[in-house]
Amino acid sequence: MSSVAAPVAAPVKAPVVALDRISKAYENKIAVQDLSLQIEPGTMFGLLGPNGSGKTSTIRMMIGITMPDSGSITLFGKPYERASLTRVGYLPEERGLYKKMKVMEQLIFMGQLRGLEPAVASRRAHDWCERMQILDAAQKKTEELSKGMQQKIQFIATLMHDPDLIVMDEPFSGLDPVNTSLLQDTLVELKKTGKAILFSTHRMDQVEKLCDAICLIHRGHAVLSGGMREVKSRYERDRVVINFEGDASFLQHPAIKSFKDYGGQVEIQLHPHADAQDLLRAAANATIYRFELMEPSLEEIFIRTVGEKIDA
Amino acid sequence: MRSIWLIARREYLEQIRGKAFKVTTILIPVVFAVIMAVAILPSKYWGTGKHIAVATQDPALAIRVRDQLVADKEAKITVDVVAPATAADRQKLHAEMDSKQIDGFVWIDAPASGKEQVTYVSRSAGDLTTEDRLQSDINRALVEQRLIDRGNPSSAIASLTGNVDITTMLYRDGREVPSSVLSTLFLGYGMAFLLTFSLVMYGMNVGRSVIQEKTSRIFEVMLSTVKSSDMLAGKLIGIGAVGLTQILIWIALGAILLSSALVTSWMAGMTKPQIPVVEIILLCIYFVLGYALYSAFFAGLAATCDTEQELQQYAPLAAVPVWLSFGMFMYILSNPNSIWSILVSMFPPTAPITMAFRFTAQFPPVWQIALSLALMVLGIYIVLWLSSRLYRVGILMYGKRATLPEMLRWLRYS
Repeated sequence: MSSVAAPVAAPVKAPVVALDRISKAYENKIAVQDLSLQIEPGTMFGLLGPNGSGKTSTIRMMIGITMPDSGSITLFGKPYERASLTRVGYLPEERGLYKKMKVMEQLIFMGQLRGLEPAVASRRAHDWCERMQILDAAQKKTEELSKGMQQKIQFIATLMHDPDLIVMDEPFSGLDPVNTSLLQDTLVELKKTGKAILFSTHRMDQVEKLCDAICLIHRGHAVLSGGMREVKSRYERDRVVINFEGDASFLQHPAIKSFKDYGGQVEIQLHPHADAQDLLRAAANATIYRFELMEPSLEEIFIRTVGEKIDA
Repeated sequence: MRSIWLIARREYLEQIRGKAFKVTTILIPVVFAVIMAVAILPSKYWGTGKHIAVATQDPALAIRVRDQLVADKEAKITVDVVAPATAADRQKLHAEMDSKQIDGFVWIDAPASGKEQVTYVSRSAGDLTTEDRLQSDINRALVEQRLIDRGNPSSAIASLTGNVDITTMLYRDGREVPSSVLSTLFLGYGMAFLLTFSLVMYGMNVGRSVIQEKTSRIFEVMLSTVKSSDMLAGKLIGIGAVGLTQILIWIALGAILLSSALVTSWMAGMTKPQIPVVEIILLCIYFVLGYALYSAFFAGLAATCDTEQELQQYAPLAAVPVWLSFGMFMYILSNPNSIWSILVSMFPPTAPITMAFRFTAQFPPVWQIALSLALMVLGIYIVLWLSSRLYRVGILMYGKRATLPEMLRWLRYS
């Protein structure tokens, strides 16, 4: 006897956050204008832009610290309401801690403010401190700790109530590589469990490595948005890296717009629509060890889109 | 509500555990006691233990003056008699003063024809207490001497010149209760001092706490969870509870101290101040309302500043009502029901302190207390409304102190 399972429709995931044409102006300065974006569950979303482009203003509206002048905000499928904030974890760029409080007391206090019972907050604070390797410091006053340690505490305070939306503004600034990697791994794990993570930064390399989708803001406008692969695919592969020895005369080829010669390795920018295969043929007299047609980096895309250099 | 309670509890515990709380709880009563001691002790102990001489041609008068001075037990004065005195004796007395054998001398010229001339020559100028004692004791001796000279028997002198002591009673609640001007003065001053310190200190504490949170950049983290109005309310309640705790500790300490043997002996002859329970309750209410007014005011201002130094520049705004209240202290005690006394006790910034003065002088009519409390509540409502608007915008503004036009703009933001 066999049974035929009824076809089950794949559940449609509602976006965790949806901003629809929101605008905000302070005095005569436009902070954000007609910005729309959506963040799906289980994705890491990069909000990019130079300093002062409107990233923090966008985030502040998203979590209700300020209200948009126009447009609408939907959190967890419902129009914005304060009650939804218990499902949000926000680590602002301008972040702080109560300096006189002990680490554990502080974490329990933050947990309680976000709706946890004291016992639950205490247990989770302990577990997170262990995970972040700061259990030894749990009974110390915050002001006695290093900046990196304090940052880990802020990180825990943002996550300990198990939020479904995690918003992090420049989360890795000032951290050493070991701790940056620890925090990045934690965020990737959380993403795999279905959490939506919004990640605001001007560090393109981190976004490129971690994010599934991006929105690039410039002077309050979204100038580029979409899935990471889709955004990159919009730009042609016009950069070539060649490792070679011998005859360098191919560097005079008309397909080359500019190049940087590092001695043994040369990075070439091709003219639009130039054929890289032509260049490979022209380099036949040299000994080629590597010939790679690179996709543009996010930073290049950004510079091309915005037309200005970003602060490193 | 839960967040307000959590924030209030955090503020309360942090302040109670802090050094500043412990230090001020002990230090402020000590400072107060020192100020009171400095005010009281001179009248009691200054000008005692002097060694003087009385010089006159009439030995009987000299002895009478000496007896009067020595009879003044508080003065603990030593008196030499030089009689009948001559011009040469005056030189000798100068020499004794030079060698510091005596502190001064009284020279009485008593011509048979009439009015006596009395001179007090002293090594120190400005010894008002001794001068005061001499004035009354010598006058009394002279009056006694004149009475005897006019044929009155010595036995009648004491009854003719005897003093009477006035007992002051205060009529309150249909009863006469012992009272004294001095203890009323101390009580009024003490209560006002306590209120002022607490109001201004805790008002500034709230301001400082806002600045610290602004400096530590905790606001944005907190605002992603709680409303700015809840943060403000929690802070005001938490720090206010710390102030109430401190006041209750002081009241308890004061009650213990007043019933102690030390104070009983020290205040011998003075009437112990009586504070009815209803006045203590009213004082607590005035503290809570005054605190709410001042602290809401400072919280709003602090949100517009970036550093404690900037906030300090606003401190005179709180000092003016305090000066005004204390400036009217004596006036209110003497005229508790005058129109000016009533007006300052209705004006919310001066009401808590001036009402404390009025309580000690004469319990005001109930309608005046009710009106003053109602006006305070209204004042608090207005200040809270303004401050919460400044607070909401100011706590996320960093970099510089807001100017007046900027503050006015913030008030207009909905």
